[in-house]
Amino acid sequence: MDDDKKRENIRALLSDQLKTEVFPRADTADEVNRVVGRLQEVRGDLVRRLIIGGVTAAPVVHGDIDQACETCMYFLVHRRYCELPELDIPVEPNWSCRLWRI
Amino acid sequence: MANLLWLQGGACSGNTMSFLNAEEPSACDLVTDFGINVLWHPSLGLELGENLKKMLNGLVSGQIPLDIFVFEGSVVNAPGGTGEWNRFAGRPMKDWVADLAKVAAFTVAVGDCATWGGIPATAPNPSESVGLQFLKRASGGFLGPAYKSKAGLPVINIPGCPAHPDWITQIVVAVATGRGGDLTLDEFGRPKTFFTSFTQTGCTRNMHFAYKVSATEFGQRKGCLFYDLGCRGPMTHSPCNRVLWNRQSSKTRAGMPCMGCTEPEFPFFDLAPGTVFKTQTVMGVPKDMPQGVDKTGYIKLTAAAKAASPAWAEEDIFVV
Repeated sequence: MDDDKKRENIRALLSDQLKTEVFPRADTADEVNRVVGRLQEVRGDLVRRLIIGGVTAAPVVHGDIDQACETCMYFLVHRRYCELPELDIPVEPNWSCRLWRI
Repeated sequence: MANLLWLQGGACSGNTMSFLNAEEPSACDLVTDFGINVLWHPSLGLELGENLKKMLNGLVSGQIPLDIFVFEGSVVNAPGGTGEWNRFAGRPMKDWVADLAKVAAFTVAVGDCATWGGIPATAPNPSESVGLQFLKRASGGFLGPAYKSKAGLPVINIPGCPAHPDWITQIVVAVATGRGGDLTLDEFGRPKTFFTSFTQTGCTRNMHFAYKVSATEFGQRKGCLFYDLGCRGPMTHSPCNRVLWNRQSSKTRAGMPCMGCTEPEFPFFDLAPGTVFKTQTVMGVPKDMPQGVDKTGYIKLTAAAKAASPAWAEEDIFVV
């Protein structure tokens, strides 16, 4: 499946009431490690990755910081792709997840 | 002819290995071209037992002039301040260090352990290790903050884990050839000629730093190592990308994050699990910023730079 099809699939999942773990955000190194550790256990399962990663189809403002994919270090601008190895999914610039980092 | 004595305290010999690999100038050049008389070195010294002790006592008494005293490794004070855990030539090494530092024209600390305590001084510091004139960032160390060698300089600190071979030999040559007075040192006793610029200076991944494209796994040829993999290049003072290692590369050029080993806090975060090779963040923002950059400015710059990044910056590209 190419990136566009995968992205549409994810968009459909997120708009179809998929409840993801948007909070708590991974604010500390310990929380980042904990979430990443959980993601490593579900590498082949897209839905579980979206849930554990707290992926949303809209930006999340946290602590006065707009945590949108487009400013995240894992975001490839031209491919519109999240390169975090444990997520590894096509995304949109205005999406978000709780592992956002700048 | 300048007499050089090299001793080791709480050390792994890494700086000795580095020194022996020096090329510009080499360890042999020190002797043949620059007139340095290596009185004794742990890997090169010929004297043993009583003969070594006699030589050391001759240095302490002033009978033999000590022009350059090089110390590698931490000063071990355990147990209970006695230094008995690190005995050498019949007495605690720290006693030799105290006596030799008093008569040395120049005292040079080589490597992190000798400069700031290094890994041995990491909490809980069971060996009660300190550097010659610093313990981590605190001035003092074993010789005290006011210490000056007979030439009037504080300890010349050449940090690194290990220090680059040529940093060592070039500083030794400078003092041996009478140019020690030309050395300018920073607040941590590091020669400014080497330790004013950053490890990032000359890094071949700087374009990825500029466009905020991150490396997310080791071995990736594209991407900056600062954003996710814990690279400390933007806030570490060293010439690792100016004076290359083995004349051809550096950690960051090879895809290995800088660990900040020329800074007094090394190893950072006391090596707590999850802190090595992972950029520490607070609410997604790096805890340690590139030097001189504030959080607000960083966020603004990053958002703008990322939006402006060209497609090639995201592609696999040779940066070596």
